[in-house]
This record gives sequence, C-alpha cells and structure tokens, in this order.
Amino acid sequence: MSNNEIKNSELDVQTEQTNRRDFFKKAALGVGALAGTSLFANEAAGEGDPNIMHHVKWGQTWGDPVDKNLYGIPSAYEHNNTRRGTKLLASGNLRASIAVAPIHESQGIITPNGLFFSRSHGGTAHVDPNEYRLMIHGLVEKPIVLTLEELKRYPSVSRTHFIECPANGGQEWRGPQFNSLQFAKGFMSSAEWTGVYLKDILKDLGLKPTAKWMLAEGSDNSEMGRTIPIDKVLDDAMLVWGQNGEALRPEQGYPVRIMLPGWEGNLMVKWLKRLKFSNEPFFAKEETSKYTALKPSGKAIQHFYANEVNSTVTHPSPEIDWSNLKDGDRVEIQGLAWSGMGTITAVDFSIDGGKNYVKANLKGLVLPKSWTRWSIMHTYKKGQVIQLASRAIDDAGYIQPTVDQETLITGVEAVYHRNAVETWEVQPDGKVRHVMVRSQLKYDKETGTMSIEGKA
Amino acid sequence: MLKLNTKIISASIAVSAALVMTACNSGASASGSNHSGASTVQTVYADGKAVIDGGTTYPVVNGYTSQYAVNTQVDSETLNHGRVPTAGELAAWNTDVTHIKLPPEGKGTVEEGEVLYEAQCVMCHGDFGSGGGGYPALGGKGEASELQKTLKAQRTTPDEDGPVRMFGSYWPQASTMWWYIQDGMPHPKSKTLTHDETYALTAYMLSVNEMMVGDIAVADDDEFELNRDNFADIVMPNVDGFEPEIRGENGTENVRTFYAKASNFGGQNLNQGAVRCMTDCQEPTAKIVRIAEGGGIRDFFPPTNIVRDLPDSAPVAIDVKAEYAANCAMCHDTGAAPTVGDRAAWEPLVSKGVEKVYANGINGTDTGMPAKGGSSLTDAQFKQVVDYLVTGKL
Repeated sequence: MSNNEIKNSELDVQTEQTNRRDFFKKAALGVGALAGTSLFANEAAGEGDPNIMHHVKWGQTWGDPVDKNLYGIPSAYEHNNTRRGTKLLASGNLRASIAVAPIHESQGIITPNGLFFSRSHGGTAHVDPNEYRLMIHGLVEKPIVLTLEELKRYPSVSRTHFIECPANGGQEWRGPQFNSLQFAKGFMSSAEWTGVYLKDILKDLGLKPTAKWMLAEGSDNSEMGRTIPIDKVLDDAMLVWGQNGEALRPEQGYPVRIMLPGWEGNLMVKWLKRLKFSNEPFFAKEETSKYTALKPSGKAIQHFYANEVNSTVTHPSPEIDWSNLKDGDRVEIQGLAWSGMGTITAVDFSIDGGKNYVKANLKGLVLPKSWTRWSIMHTYKKGQVIQLASRAIDDAGYIQPTVDQETLITGVEAVYHRNAVETWEVQPDGKVRHVMVRSQLKYDKETGTMSIEGKA
Repeated sequence: MLKLNTKIISASIAVSAALVMTACNSGASASGSNHSGASTVQTVYADGKAVIDGGTTYPVVNGYTSQYAVNTQVDSETLNHGRVPTAGELAAWNTDVTHIKLPPEGKGTVEEGEVLYEAQCVMCHGDFGSGGGGYPALGGKGEASELQKTLKAQRTTPDEDGPVRMFGSYWPQASTMWWYIQDGMPHPKSKTLTHDETYALTAYMLSVNEMMVGDIAVADDDEFELNRDNFADIVMPNVDGFEPEIRGENGTENVRTFYAKASNFGGQNLNQGAVRCMTDCQEPTAKIVRIAEGGGIRDFFPPTNIVRDLPDSAPVAIDVKAEYAANCAMCHDTGAAPTVGDRAAWEPLVSKGVEKVYANGINGTDTGMPAKGGSSLTDAQFKQVVDYLVTGKL
C-alpha cells in the first residue's frame, strides 16, 4: 500500500516538526495497526467507522502557518484534477495545441483559473506588463496607443461568460472517439471577466462610418489574428484583464485579451497587441485555413462566430461513473447547458438516447452566453442499460439538433461547431461510456447533399 | 447607408430603452430574483438590424442589461486615455497583408525559397511540404486545382479519403500565406525573415502546391520570381469556396443574412419551423454507435485519474527511445542532422564540451535545431535523450 506509506511518511515529517511528544508520534505512525484499540480512540466504546471512532491525524497536530503558500494551491489530494492533452490534438509539438479542462470535476458555472482550458497557436507567451502596448488604429478619428495602466483606467465591467473552442466535440463528426467527458466536451471553460466595453473606448476615438470590420491581433510568436464584424464590437465586445478576480492567466492572454461573449474561443485573441478598423475583412490564417466548416456542397462556412446552443450530461461521466451505486439509490443527474447566441431557457433530458424527453430543471444563475447548470433526480436500477442525453434551448429559439439533423446539413467534414445531442450510455455494471445515436448517411457528390441510408 | 457611429447607436439605444420602459414595468432584472426573460432580450439591435450571428442582444432596460447593472456614468470625458501613435509606430505594427493590401516591396524565386525551406522549414513540414509528426502539410500532393475538387469528399464510411485542405486547394487568399510566414514563421523564431525571404518561401509554396500565377505554372519554373508586381496574379482555385461572401461593400450584410437562416449552418430554430419533439424523436434508422473495445482515442497525458491521494514525488521516468522517435527522428533519422551514435558526426560537436551540446539542444540553434526538438521535456529529461543520441546507448 504505497499510498499509506506516503501518507504515513509525510505525517512523520509533520510530527517531527510540530510535535515533541513521542506518544503522539508513535500513535500516529501506528494508525493502521492500532485501529480498534483504546489507546488512540475517542472515549466512546463500540464499533464504528474508524474515521469516526479515532481522532483524525490532521486534528491532532498543528496545521500549516498562514504564511505558507502565500498564493494558495489546491489540496495535495486534488493533484489528479488537472488539464490534460493528447498528441492527436498537437500540431507537431505542444505549442500549437490544446490542454482540455477537467469538466467531469467541475462545480457550478466557474472554472478555476488553473484548470481553464488552454489553447495557443505558438505557445503560451509571457508578456512583461511594463512593456505591454495596445494600438487602436485604422478607420477611427483618433488612433491611440495605451499602456496597460492606461487601459485599466477605463470604467470596468465584470461579466460571466464561457469560452469554448469551436472544435469542442469536433473529433466526433464520424462517430464517438473519446470515452471521456474531459476530452469529448472539455474544450471549454467559464469565468467572470473584468474589463472595458470596446464601445466605451470608441466613444472617445470616433469610429468612421465606413468601418465594418476590426482586426484583433496578438503579440505572441504566431501573431494570432482574427477579423470581427463591427456589430459585435458595438454590442458586447470587451477588452479584459481580469479573470475570476485576479489578472488573466498567461494561458488566457495576460495581460489583455478580447472577450466576445458567446463566440468561438479562437476569435478572443490573447496577448492582444493591435486593433485595426477597416472596410474589408483581413483573411488571417486562422479564419481561412482553419476555423472554417466544410459542408457537403464543397463550400465552407467562414466567419462562423457563435457557439450554438449546446449541453451535456456531466454527472455521471466515463470518469466518475455509477459503479459504486446500489440498486434503488437516488442520484442527481447533472449537466451543463450553454449557448453563444443567448440565454438558456430550457433543457430536456432523455434516458433512451434521445427518443423520448422530459423537462430537466435549471439551477443556479441563468445568465446570457454563460454556462447554465441543470439537473434531474433519478432512481438507479442496478444492471439497467440506459442512454443519457440532454437537449438545450435558448432564448433566440435555437434547439440542439439530433446528430442526424446536424450532419444532414453540415456533413461529416466540418470539424468545427458540432453541437448535436451527446449521449452517455450507462452499462450494466454502472460504468459510463460515450456513444452516438445516428443513422448511416449517404453522400451524393453530384448534388453535394446528404441523405439517410435506408430511409423510405 | 450604414450608420455605425457609436454616438448614434447609443442614442437609439436610449430611445428604445425608454419605449421598452413604458411598455414594461416588471423590473424583473432589478429584483435580481430570476432571469429577466423576454422583456429585455432582442434579436435585433437598436438600429433595427438583425443580430449578426443569428442570436440575441440585451438592450439596457431600467439600468440593466439582462441581469447586469450598467455603469451609467461612462461618458467621453472620462474616457480620454492614451496618446496618438507616431507615424513610425503605426508603420512598425501595421503589418497585415490582405486581398486589398499588398505585401511590401521585395522579391524572391522558387529556387531561393527551396534553399530557405530546406534550411529552416523541412524539419517540421517535411520534404516538399508533405508534413509529418503532426505538423501541417503544406503541399507536395499534386495540382492545387485538382486537389480543390476533393473538398467535395465526405467520409460517410471509414475507408474513404477526406478532403485535402491545404494552401493551394483550400485557402481563399494568397495574402494570408505571405502575412503568416512574415509574422509567424519559422515557428520557434518568428519575425526573423526578410521580405525577400518571405517572397521566396511563398514562391516555393506556389511551386509545391502546383499553382498558377497568371498563366505561369510555377512548378515548371524554378527561376520563377514572385514580387509585389505579380503577387495579385496568384490564382487561388478555392477563392469562391466560402460562404457567406465577406468581401466588398455588402460583406457584413451578407453575414447577417446568412446567419438569419438556421438551416444555412446546421441549426434548428423553433421560430423557423423546428419542433421541440418530446416523444419518438429519433429517426427509425438511428442506431447506437459505440467505441470499439480498446478503440477510440486514449493517449491522454496525464492518463485519466480521479483518485484522491498524495502525489508520487519520484521524478517522472521517460521512454528515451519513444521521445527520440516523437521529437528528434524527423531530422536526426533523415540525414538533416547527425544520427544516433554516429561518432564521426558527433565528435566535432562533443569535442567543444558536452555542456555546449546540451545547451544547443535545450535552447535551439540558428541552423535548424528547435529548442528541445519542440518537446515539452524537462532539461534533465532532455539531456537523457541527448545522451542516447550521441552515444547510441540507453
């Protein structure tokens, strides 16, 4: 039992340092051996859970002084709750790559900054805030250069929004690939962002009437850039420097990134260097070679902005399944719903893979372009095989498509913006795996259209 | 005539807010008790135009936008920050190259590009841009105009070939390539190429993609020179392969029209005929597709683990041979760099001291060695790989 050895040896160190009484030290080292004896037990006699019947080790010794970890870190026991990667999602090496968020462990609608999914096109840049400059120019009456300190003088707002890579689920257009919630749906995270509305900055700069597009360009080694239409700039686009109450993490574009609520993560340029207003779009690399969705017609959707209405079951998951449940246990099935086009108004839930639905319950804060929690209570029947599926609806009227509905229109080569209903199958032993409910499609190259094979 | 002046828009927001206020006194937002609902959500902006992405917007009503209270003290007097950039500063950063903004003056030939490519690019992008080790393929697969036809490939069964999405067959604009090479390449030391070198590398890309510049087939002419004067003549076979059309005066309006219709992008909208089906909702042909036993993608790092215990403090052991294969073999096994245990090749390098060899490997060199071969190994782990590479022994 290597775990016990580690625990005991660590305890040993603590007791050496903090406890002068040999009696305690011996007792602590002997937790396993002495279980059930009165030496170390509460006064009460009788049988019971040793975690109750005996003093816990952290209850009988000093804890850490308050000046340990002046920037706090999670419990050492949480070390497996991390971002994860896979070589499949690396462009050669791990600079142009992604590390996905452990959403199977996620609580509520906020992702801790250290677990926020991380995607970059040239590695995580480390920007010196003293050398940081932001330039805003092009079709404005007054171009400007700002230091970070000057930028932060603008009146700020804080808003809670998810950021989702539009390739979330994009490996599974042709069938399920990941027996993992983290990899199937973890190309997203959520935070409270603090910054300034771009429309407020523009009140001083004076946008020229011919301005229709804005280039946002990063200062990282790939100079990642994207074109944003002026309508979004004047609606809810922000320049943000705060993430969950502290500075942006380097992985999120420290010191400044652009926040476009609900839109694909790639548009929210990090390590932001330059905003340029123009009458024509810019055709930057990541809005042509990538982040375009090929349809069966052979044409690709470009400037595919909003992440459409979506949802998934998060509890249970392949990672944290029901194999410990007993027959008849009541359990809360939980999930996330989100829409880049508006606010979640309803979530429907199915235990037969999307054949029949009932209404699930929303819970907690229900905010625009934000993660929204939903849940439904369930009585577990040991041995029963069920397919858990969820379907979200937003206030723009969008409802999640079935896999068939989506692929009939966009085909199976789009890569990006897959938001069809996800299905998780509970096995007889309570384990959970990722499945997909779909028909076999047939492609007519002449007409560039898809149809369902065998459909009358 | 588009009126996108912010002041005009702010004014019309104020007007529409006033109208909504008289029509709606629920104050649901202000109570903070629940989502404010339909009273503050709009699918059109204050100027009456549809929201550009097909979604919603939340005008300010009773001082709130959805559930967020709005800071109403923001006026132009409080916003006067920063300074006007100098002409030199603007020129230094205004480096985008687009379909309406040609690259700066310069020139380069296919031949020159090939030499540069072999020296600075081949270690990742492979011979003739064929890709490798996960790095993007750039060419070497045939004529661009022919490959463009593969964009009508759909892998409805596992044994079919997919579409070829490369510079020549897929990208709509040549300007993108010039701009990206100049600002983003070579990946480990970007912004180090001269304008002439970027022209040369772009010319080489035209060659390995078998593309046309006017009526010149670039692959047939190694002496072909690309420059500012003929740049606009590059033929991009897939220039019209994208929707909506974003170029020209109607660009943003085309986008608005496209996203107003859910079926254009695979969406289902209840306001456009979609149904919230509650019973018998799947096609009768739909089946449950499962990941084959032992199949799927599972090479996660670190492996999935939900155990709550104390971390193992022992250093992480690496598989030296596997790390070599993943990060080094693409050059060191192909003759581009000294191979494993090649004493004659390593001797002159090691004679300068093994610490120098380690340092070059860890930091990278100007002659093509990327820092740590592009790997994420620690210094100590990387040195183990270097030891193997130099001695041939594990």
